[in-house]
Amino acid sequence: MVNENQLREAVKNTVSRDDVKYVIGYKKGTYGFQVTPAFAFDSKDADELIFSPLCTNNLAVYPMLEEKLPLRRGEEEDTRKIGLIVKGCDSRAIVQIIQEKGLKREDVVLIGVPCTGVIDPKKINAKFPHQTKTVDVKEDGEKFVITIDGKTNKISKDELIFEKCKHCEHPNPVLCDILIGEEIKSTKKEDYNDVKTFEKKSLKEKWDFWEKQFEKCIRCYACRNACPMCYCKECMVDQLSPQWVRRSVNLSENTAWNLMRAFHLAGRCIGCGECERACPMDIPLTKLNKMIEMEIKEMFDYTPGLDAEEKPLLAMFKPDDPEEFIL
Amino acid sequence: MDKFVLQKDTLPKFISEMISKYQVFAPVENGDFALFKQIKKPSEVNLKFSNSKVPPKALLFEQTETLFKFTPGTKGKIDQADIPDGKTVVFGIRPCDAKSLTILDHVFKDEYEDPYYLTKRKNTVLVGLSCTQPDVNCFCTSFDDGPASAENVDILLTDIGDKYYVEVKSDKGKQLTKNMNKLFTSANDKDGKKKKEVEKKATDIITRSTKTDGIVDKLDKIFDNPFWKNIAIKCLGCGTCTYLCPTCHCFDIQDETTMTKGARIRVWDSCMRSEYTLQASGYNPRPTRMNRVRNRVYHKYNYYPKNYDIIACVGCGRCIDNCPVNIDIIDVVTEAREVKA
Repeated sequence: MVNENQLREAVKNTVSRDDVKYVIGYKKGTYGFQVTPAFAFDSKDADELIFSPLCTNNLAVYPMLEEKLPLRRGEEEDTRKIGLIVKGCDSRAIVQIIQEKGLKREDVVLIGVPCTGVIDPKKINAKFPHQTKTVDVKEDGEKFVITIDGKTNKISKDELIFEKCKHCEHPNPVLCDILIGEEIKSTKKEDYNDVKTFEKKSLKEKWDFWEKQFEKCIRCYACRNACPMCYCKECMVDQLSPQWVRRSVNLSENTAWNLMRAFHLAGRCIGCGECERACPMDIPLTKLNKMIEMEIKEMFDYTPGLDAEEKPLLAMFKPDDPEEFIL
Repeated sequence: MDKFVLQKDTLPKFISEMISKYQVFAPVENGDFALFKQIKKPSEVNLKFSNSKVPPKALLFEQTETLFKFTPGTKGKIDQADIPDGKTVVFGIRPCDAKSLTILDHVFKDEYEDPYYLTKRKNTVLVGLSCTQPDVNCFCTSFDDGPASAENVDILLTDIGDKYYVEVKSDKGKQLTKNMNKLFTSANDKDGKKKKEVEKKATDIITRSTKTDGIVDKLDKIFDNPFWKNIAIKCLGCGTCTYLCPTCHCFDIQDETTMTKGARIRVWDSCMRSEYTLQASGYNPRPTRMNRVRNRVYHKYNYYPKNYDIIACVGCGRCIDNCPVNIDIIDVVTEAREVKA
């Protein structure tokens, strides 16, 4: 359980620094279990910030979304740092972006929070439907405590957290400047059982499954925009000349989009699951990303987003790569 | 207006009758949500969801629509696309979504008559279904509308327990029910009273709301207010809110060709995208997400009412339900009213 007072104190100290423009954290949302990203520009704003198991958003997306308009004559670029509250997975996204030289280490101040898993909004909304007023969720050991209209419910964490959190090997931030609270010990292991089971299905079954999924896609690109690793200045899907993916929304183009995106994340996806959470059409995008992640781990013994000094997978060569796939 | 009752166990028969004469689109379960799809038998219909994920505007203003086909080259020719003109029923459309079509009519009818939309609109009968279980973010009541409003449908069904209260509103509705007399019995005062009760109960479930009086003038005064930057700062710039909005109607036109054939298509566009107003010169009059989020709100609550005297928001709550960062139009409008001009 993160001590929110300690967190706010850290945010206040950070945002008061001359070399920091703002700190991004979380605050209560507008209804039900919603929590929303919040930007603190001064220490007063920091009072609103919270951290709870409902803080699912990966805020690492925001430094890459900063809009830099052309400077007017005499204007100087604001090179101050961005402060950021990061969980384990969020910090891995920042590490990966630094590896790729999308950000410099000194561009960000990271306030790390150890995390035992965040709540899947779909699961909690199914369990407690129709919550118009905002509801708090607290942690109590292996349970979540949810108080609605004075009535307290205790529910085991496993019932509500994201599937990805059940296998999370990095509950502590892998990179941070300030750590709130103590690091937690975790024995969770990624076993890729979900992908392995799926892989065993026949080609036809798998194709039928994905056809059904991609048919639903409305190409809103919430997956891309919520993804901290999707930070190309111009996405291939927006390019018109050449046009890699047509604007027509149909199974063929939707498949092209979703698969191309998955491949673009090969060796880069840190598995925060934001794409799947953001998808309004419930396309299980994590399945695609996990599959590639597993293969890369097997083939190159590489896990993205762990070491900011390391080179990105596709930019390095190790003489002792297993390379069993090369005939 | 003719009023009938339809016994619940007769509903499948009613749907079958419609299927025999029309192509029928209805909410079909798709995982955790419903989508409007063409149905071949009554059992495919699922009425347990309040709003469909994608609004039924997509049936009349399709996400991808072929305007015409052509053969490229010097001997090229144009083949006009066949606009589907089959008689259609949209069954189970909610009052808010039905209202959205009335709103969209202005765009596709007033200044320029869009044959693609209008042909389908003309041939479509809206058989609405009152909401008895409005969702968390439903706020149709903020627009002088209600979960059981028959204003914009041809026929409205309201679940009053063991039967449906049926209001036949228009000629299209009369036409549809013409030879179905044996399915319906005429409604009595008790049934009418029951409908009112159901409507009241549903209205009471709706707790979220915003005031909209004077919003047009207010927005005129706060266009340059820093408020918009604060609202938009967390926006990711995806198109979910606009694509799932029943009144958003922006589209892009593209030619999609192979070596031997091509088609001019129209696809949904979204003002949330950075290339939406990007000009060929490289200049973009809406360069930041602030400009774009503000535009979405203004288009619905300022420009549209100025042009057509109606707010282009029906309060279905889809943009709120589906925003990955909780940008909440109820709050945006409520707070905008408080901003000091």
